[in-house]
Amino acid sequence: MTALIIDDEIQIRRLLRLALESRNYTVREAESGRLGLQEAAFHRPEVVLLDLGLPDMDGLEVLKNLREWSDVPVLILSVRDQENVKVAALENGADDYVTKPFSTAELVARLAVIQRRRHGNDAPEIVTGTLRICLDSHEVFLAGEMLRMTPTEYAFLCALARHAGKIVTQRQLLREVWGQQGDGQTHYLRVYANHLRKKLGGKLIIQNEPGIGYRLLDPVG
Amino acid sequence: MNDDHRPDPDALLAQVQREEIEEKRGRLYIILGMCPGVGKTYAMLLLARQRQNDGLKVLVGVVETHGRKETAVLLENLTILPRQQIAHGDHTLEEFDLDTAIQRRPDLLLVDELAHTNAPGSRHLKRYQDVLELLDAGIDVVTTLNVQHIESQVDIVRQVTGVAVQETVPDSLLDRAHEIQLVDLSVEKLMGRLTEGKVYLGERAQAAAEGFFREGNLTALRELALRFTAERVDRDLEDIRKARRISSPWKTNARLMVGVGPTPYSESLIRWTRRASGRHGCPWLAVWVEGTQPVSAQEQDLLARGLGLARRLGAEVVHAMGDDVAATLLEVARDRNVSQIVVGKADRRSRWQATLADRVIAGSGDIDVCVVRPVIGRPSNLPEQKRRKFAAPGQVREYGIALGIVVVLTGVCWQLEPVVGYTVPALVYLLAILLTAFQISRLPMIFMAGLSALAWNFFFITPKFTFEVGSLQDMILLVIFFAVALSMGQLTTRLRVREIAERRRQLETDALLRVTQSAALSPETGKGLAEALKIINSVIASDTALVVRELDRTLPAQAHEASTWQPLAHELGVANWAYANKQIAGRFTDTLPQADATWFPLQTATSVMGVLGLRLSGNTAALDFNRRQAVEAFSLQLALVLEKEHFIHAVSQAEVLEKSERLRRNLLDSVSHELKTPLAVIRASIEGMGESAANPYVVEIDTATKRLQRLVDGLLQMTRLESQVVEPQLEWCDVNELLEGAVKAAGDAMGSHPVKIDIASDIPLIQTDQALLLQALANILHNSAVYSPVQSAIELTARHAGQRLRLTVRDYGPGLPPGEESRVFGKFYRAAGAPAGGTGLGLSIARGFVQALGGDIAGWNDPDGGAVFEILLKAEFLAQDDDGACFPTEIAQAAQV
Repeated sequence: MTALIIDDEIQIRRLLRLALESRNYTVREAESGRLGLQEAAFHRPEVVLLDLGLPDMDGLEVLKNLREWSDVPVLILSVRDQENVKVAALENGADDYVTKPFSTAELVARLAVIQRRRHGNDAPEIVTGTLRICLDSHEVFLAGEMLRMTPTEYAFLCALARHAGKIVTQRQLLREVWGQQGDGQTHYLRVYANHLRKKLGGKLIIQNEPGIGYRLLDPVG
Repeated sequence: MNDDHRPDPDALLAQVQREEIEEKRGRLYIILGMCPGVGKTYAMLLLARQRQNDGLKVLVGVVETHGRKETAVLLENLTILPRQQIAHGDHTLEEFDLDTAIQRRPDLLLVDELAHTNAPGSRHLKRYQDVLELLDAGIDVVTTLNVQHIESQVDIVRQVTGVAVQETVPDSLLDRAHEIQLVDLSVEKLMGRLTEGKVYLGERAQAAAEGFFREGNLTALRELALRFTAERVDRDLEDIRKARRISSPWKTNARLMVGVGPTPYSESLIRWTRRASGRHGCPWLAVWVEGTQPVSAQEQDLLARGLGLARRLGAEVVHAMGDDVAATLLEVARDRNVSQIVVGKADRRSRWQATLADRVIAGSGDIDVCVVRPVIGRPSNLPEQKRRKFAAPGQVREYGIALGIVVVLTGVCWQLEPVVGYTVPALVYLLAILLTAFQISRLPMIFMAGLSALAWNFFFITPKFTFEVGSLQDMILLVIFFAVALSMGQLTTRLRVREIAERRRQLETDALLRVTQSAALSPETGKGLAEALKIINSVIASDTALVVRELDRTLPAQAHEASTWQPLAHELGVANWAYANKQIAGRFTDTLPQADATWFPLQTATSVMGVLGLRLSGNTAALDFNRRQAVEAFSLQLALVLEKEHFIHAVSQAEVLEKSERLRRNLLDSVSHELKTPLAVIRASIEGMGESAANPYVVEIDTATKRLQRLVDGLLQMTRLESQVVEPQLEWCDVNELLEGAVKAAGDAMGSHPVKIDIASDIPLIQTDQALLLQALANILHNSAVYSPVQSAIELTARHAGQRLRLTVRDYGPGLPPGEESRVFGKFYRAAGAPAGGTGLGLSIARGFVQALGGDIAGWNDPDGGAVFEILLKAEFLAQDDDGACFPTEIAQAAQV
């Protein structure tokens, strides 16, 4: 597996290389946005770690440019911790966001999650932990038992489960479940997140990231 | 005024502003009674208990039970604020503790006996001032009051009961009351209660019954209380009606008009018209017809007063020109679609001359005319000037000129007469009258016409040197001569007066234009304004001072440098009044007339830009209508120029702000980058060490790194707050999620404390910035966890009432240092004996975030030990019904995708 690190700080690059290589990644580095885009085009990495504060161009621009021709999973790695920056990155195609200083273990776990999603995309069912959603029959099973769901709850759970472990922004969720009418109606999310939490009974966690979105987590994995 | 039925924008604006202010201020509930003992305190406590059951945080600020048992029972289960001890001489006095009450921020505070006079040494003299401060702090207050303590009722109470009440409450406070509730009791029952000893205990009961509590007194007081409440209800009803009717302020198409002249009768006519317009619910005009007659200073004063009154009472003041008052009035009336004209009834009717009323009626056509008997008003303040029978000094000269011309012409014609005949002198006289009439006023001109006629008759018409006229032909000639001379003279004089008026207007218009040009087009505003003021000075004959408001909308203590005189402090006081009340004030007005200058607010459609102070030179007795109008026009122009300046300034200011904001953001970003990158490297390196991370040295590095990271985060957040880059992103948020998130975000420190979360089960979603609020709450939790002993509980409570969310964190630690309860929110504040590792920023940031959300935060010590922190947030709660389950079909479709 090839990972591309786009970051201008040599120390960060060296550390990430150490951490990733010990987990069987082949690491390529780029110290600026332009070089990063070149690397991504030539070497087709399987995952990209992107810093937002780059010397030659804004990381967000790199991301937009990259997304024009590639759907490689991108993990943003930045010192900027304001919600609006995170949301902007996620809505421009980033798969997840980790703020510096970061925990290496968490970083690697996030990398694994965003790469996993790339595989099981066309499967007829979504499986996360003990949760199984049959997409053709619209049935949901939790630890083997079928859960009764309203259509809204089902759509909401699907939207989360499809990106299990990864953050889904509020706007994405609202668009996916409620369509155009959902814009700005963040209270729908709160209500349904609560409904689902009750139904999932702690076997899966629906975690709220204030101002950003939701994440479906498997407490075991 | 407007013909259409749009709501009055000012009224709407005023209402909106009132609502906005009321939104922020606390509400005042007054429980009114006729006298002590009717059960006001009892009623107040009942209300308090009810509210407490509704979930509100009720605090008893001060309640006097007077040893009444029933009342004392009601106090149970209510939180009572301890009284403040005030040392006074040898003994200590107990008084209501205002500061603590504000700090505790209850939803409802009970303050008994509004009219109470505070113990010496308290902040305010009177308790109602305490209440005002509480209301301004946004706290709802319920209080009790006896009717005899209301300022406006004091005289009546003294008349009725013979008791002079000392402790009074101004009526304006009662106007601020959100609700006045009357506690009524029949006099018999009250007397019964008194004898049962429920009102006063022991001997005092007897004394009271004989003194104040006589049946007659009580009945009168009861009536007062009932009537006061009824009036108040009436006013509320009126307000409601007004609010409903606001879309059409005028009931009818009627429009009244009143003529205002320089007479003492005008004021009563104006008042009459105002009342009538109120009854009809229609607009009205006050019209002044300026004739050709010069107006004396005294008349000026009367006129200015009348027009000022009309303006104050809401009339549209119209200024018309014309010799014939009646005709001009009718002209204006037709022009403005007036339905009714109000004129005064003359007290003496002249046999020959039709009165104004007669003439108006004669020409009124389809307009109603209302002839009102006026009541003579206040005479002018100015010394009475006798209506002059004889000419004024200026006119004596004119008579002299007239006489001189006639004498000289007679002399010349006498020489010529043998050659040219006796008719030519007549024409010469006529020519002279025509030419002279341009220079002299009316009466000298009539005198001249008469004198010429006599001279012609005496010297030239046979028989000469007599006033007899020989032939009929000469008789006719003489009569025609006199008539022609008179009417020609009249016409010319009138022409001349008109010309003077025209010239004056021309001058004013011209000056106005010059003022506008010099002020608006000058590249330097200061110079332009100075030029403009000079022009005003030359036109009005005055010195002017200009005071321009500051950016924070207050007036500076100094006039603008362009001013031609510097007002002193007391003059600026007048200026401030004019500015604040948007009304003309100072000399020649009813407000602060002792001032040297007259102050005009510089008012545009949206705001007051400052004030213009006019100090008339010479000993002018009044500011006449024309000058006043001119100054008002100048003021408007200056205001517009200043407003334009202000806008230009504001725009450039905004640009600068935007630039500096961008700079600040960039700086923040790069500082975060520079500080956080090495931290990230250290943390990742420690993690990467694997087994050697258990090395005690490495553990120390790890601890220090985490501490450093907290400090950096705190500093960056603080900087962001202080540079006002924090903009709340409002979204609906779930209080459960919020609290759980906060506990998690508070970090490892929470691990050693059992956390009890208590959330009201029915708490709806709230609109706020969840991330900010969560961070604030997490900071408080972290603080509590660090400061309280390991394994002591931390309680987190969420309650809501009205539009307020109340989040409370309570710990069982040592509490806040006494007297420093509010200082703990200061930047870098560290309590004495604080455990190492803190930054002194947590609470400060928490407060910053909460304030950015429009809320407030407070901390105090619980009486049972431990600290209590409370976040109080005014926010919108979600109505429960809209949960988004309303698009089943689309959801089904979405589910298919």
